[in-house]
Amino acid sequence: MFMEMQRTGTNGRCIRLRVILLALSAFGTTQATWADAEKGKALFNQCAGCHAVGPDAANRFGPHLNGLLIRGAGLVDGYEYSEAFKSQVSEGLTWDEKTLDAYLAAPMSFMPGTRMAFPGLQSIEERNSVVAYLSTINADGTVTGSVVDDNSVATQSIVKEQEEPRPLAKDVNIPEHGVMHLGRVALDAEIQAWDIDIRPDGAGLPAGVGSVETGGELYDAQCASCHGVFGEGEGRWPILAGGQDTLTEERPEKTVGSYWPYLSTVFDYVRRAMPFGNTRSLTDDDVYALTAYILYLNDIVDDTFELSSENFESIVMPNEPNFIEDTRAEEDWFEASVEPCMSDCMEGDATVSQRARVLDVTPDNESDDSAGLD
Amino acid sequence: MSNENETSNKAAARRAVLKKGLQLGGLAGASLAGSRTVQAATPDPLITEIQDWNRYMGDGVDANPYGSPSTFEADVVRRDVSWLTADAKSSVNFTPLHALDGIITPNGLCFERHHGGVAQISPDDHRLMINGLVDTPLVFTMSDIARFPRENKTYFLECAANSGMEWRGAQLNGCQFTHGMVHNVMYTGVPLKHLLAEAGVSTRGKWLLPEGADPAHMTRSIPLEKAMDDCMVAFKMNGESLRPEQGYPLRLVVPGWEGNMWVKWLRRIEVGDEPWHHREETSKYTDLLADGRARRFTWEMDVKSVITNPSPQSPIVHGKGRTVATGLAWSGHGTIKRVDVSTDGGRNWTTARLDGPSFSKSLHRFYHDFDWDGRELFLQSRAIDDRGNIQPTKDALRLARGENSIYHNNGIQTWHVRQDGSAENVEIS
Repeated sequence: MFMEMQRTGTNGRCIRLRVILLALSAFGTTQATWADAEKGKALFNQCAGCHAVGPDAANRFGPHLNGLLIRGAGLVDGYEYSEAFKSQVSEGLTWDEKTLDAYLAAPMSFMPGTRMAFPGLQSIEERNSVVAYLSTINADGTVTGSVVDDNSVATQSIVKEQEEPRPLAKDVNIPEHGVMHLGRVALDAEIQAWDIDIRPDGAGLPAGVGSVETGGELYDAQCASCHGVFGEGEGRWPILAGGQDTLTEERPEKTVGSYWPYLSTVFDYVRRAMPFGNTRSLTDDDVYALTAYILYLNDIVDDTFELSSENFESIVMPNEPNFIEDTRAEEDWFEASVEPCMSDCMEGDATVSQRARVLDVTPDNESDDSAGLD
Repeated sequence: MSNENETSNKAAARRAVLKKGLQLGGLAGASLAGSRTVQAATPDPLITEIQDWNRYMGDGVDANPYGSPSTFEADVVRRDVSWLTADAKSSVNFTPLHALDGIITPNGLCFERHHGGVAQISPDDHRLMINGLVDTPLVFTMSDIARFPRENKTYFLECAANSGMEWRGAQLNGCQFTHGMVHNVMYTGVPLKHLLAEAGVSTRGKWLLPEGADPAHMTRSIPLEKAMDDCMVAFKMNGESLRPEQGYPLRLVVPGWEGNMWVKWLRRIEVGDEPWHHREETSKYTDLLADGRARRFTWEMDVKSVITNPSPQSPIVHGKGRTVATGLAWSGHGTIKRVDVSTDGGRNWTTARLDGPSFSKSLHRFYHDFDWDGRELFLQSRAIDDRGNIQPTKDALRLARGENSIYHNNGIQTWHVRQDGSAENVEIS
């Protein structure tokens, strides 16, 4: 493992230190190292939406993973395993480094019918790291001592100091752009890497094509675990479909079909922020296909539809005309500039019409019976 | 080390007593108050006996190199409302307003709102790009940004959904939860106009699209006039580097406008001629009206106030007599000119005392010092800003907008203080 650190040397100059840490210890019977487990912990963020670990871990969409490699497969209390999972357990499936590796490589081909809608980790190093991390978590959710206890990890560090001379003022070239001549010119490749935004008029839309059919396969594999098979939303995850004609009702359902004004927003958001925990993993064609499928879930296109950069702008979202500009300034209180009433402003004594304690949804109470934050 | 343990055991015991007193509210408080207001029957052992902290040395310097609050303040933390959102990585927690005073929010207590977890970015690895309708698209490092002229400005940041759970009526019992999606920080940073001038904005440029480096890649459309007026890119908050959860190493500051626009982990600003209508300005942060239409680009946070003490999490524990009511007021349109307080549910009002610095688009602190006669109170506050905006009642807002707007609820809050000093979030008529 290499670590680069900066520190200020005794002579006040900046010294670059190259610290080379050799982690020599292996824990368990594997060749995995502390560094692998640390890397696996970061990778586990992709899993943490569905799987909890730690002393307070509870089952979520997937079972908690405390003690995964020692607890036996399919034995977590209170978790409803899929039929596919139960069937493999009855045929003798157990979790060890080898079986977990195969499962993580391609969950849906290792176990057709699994509820783990995760495309898999292609890199064997990444899979090793995740398994190494999971192997450090004890059945009670604590982390195994051999990883955090420095004494059992034979660590040898070699510190080599090398000074990088600071550039002298006479050697610095001042750029010509701007007023203060700071920063440098951005390269086209850099702009292309980051500038992925698109607008309702189609500006920024990449070339590509995707069908409802392809989108459905991608959706079932990567989206349905949170957004529901029909876009109905699991738990408090966002609802994507339905809700048409509910915007004036007491509990409006604001979905892509019932509320979103522009299709470009769907494409842009899926490409920049989805799937949750594995952002920027979709190709442009994938995003076209998923966008087409979300339109299909909302009955805006039929199941043979194919969305492309060519026909993108022909799609009009039903609720677009209902968006208006900010009209708060028309309300009475806005810039009222009057002297407000100071005494005897209302008749009679104040009487309580509603109490928060009736709803009783303040944290520390258990009830889950109220509208969530949008 | 045994004396240290003993001290901490005693401390824990005292905490438990204090906590119990709070839970019992006015009942325990009243008897405590009695023992203090009349002559003490027996000498107070806290005075007559030498305490451990009088005798034994505490920690030396450097025991806690960064420093942290007293262990007696362990309850003063951000808290979440777990049922609000699906996952902690895209969620929100709330500033404990009831436990703070003055106008500055300590960095560790500023509420958090993330859409893809807290990105951990080394300042050496961070880049800010400016591209689009500019003469020269540029990339800045953090050390480049530190070479621009800097400013220090104190601004509130309020989530547009603050008080959003209260549209249909009183719901959450505590100002931390009804009003805690706000914080107030002194930022050090560079006016955005300086960065834009380096790239040279084209005359066709009318809008900006800031973007974050986190997995949500947060984007919002901001009109260029606002950017040239008072936006800044900040790297320090209250003197120290931004906290990771507040966008370390760089965030956008959009004074007076809804918090969602203050893009954290700021990595790119694009200049364009039209707004982008991205997810956070169409699906979210648009205000649905009763007739099914929805307002968009509702950027400014309107004039608002709340009494932070007493409030449900901070009851009156001393019984009747002299007391201090205090609260916060703010407006995205400018400074707070005046705050009025009512103890009878809006029948009669008294102008409160504003204290502390009065900065534009910053929290203001107000106090109402009075003798409580022990009767029930219906506490309200009403803020007026220097643009003449008067904080409306919740009913007035509902009449104008319906109950499904979610965002921009700046209505007057009512706390019902009972005779025992406990307080509750209520709606009154």
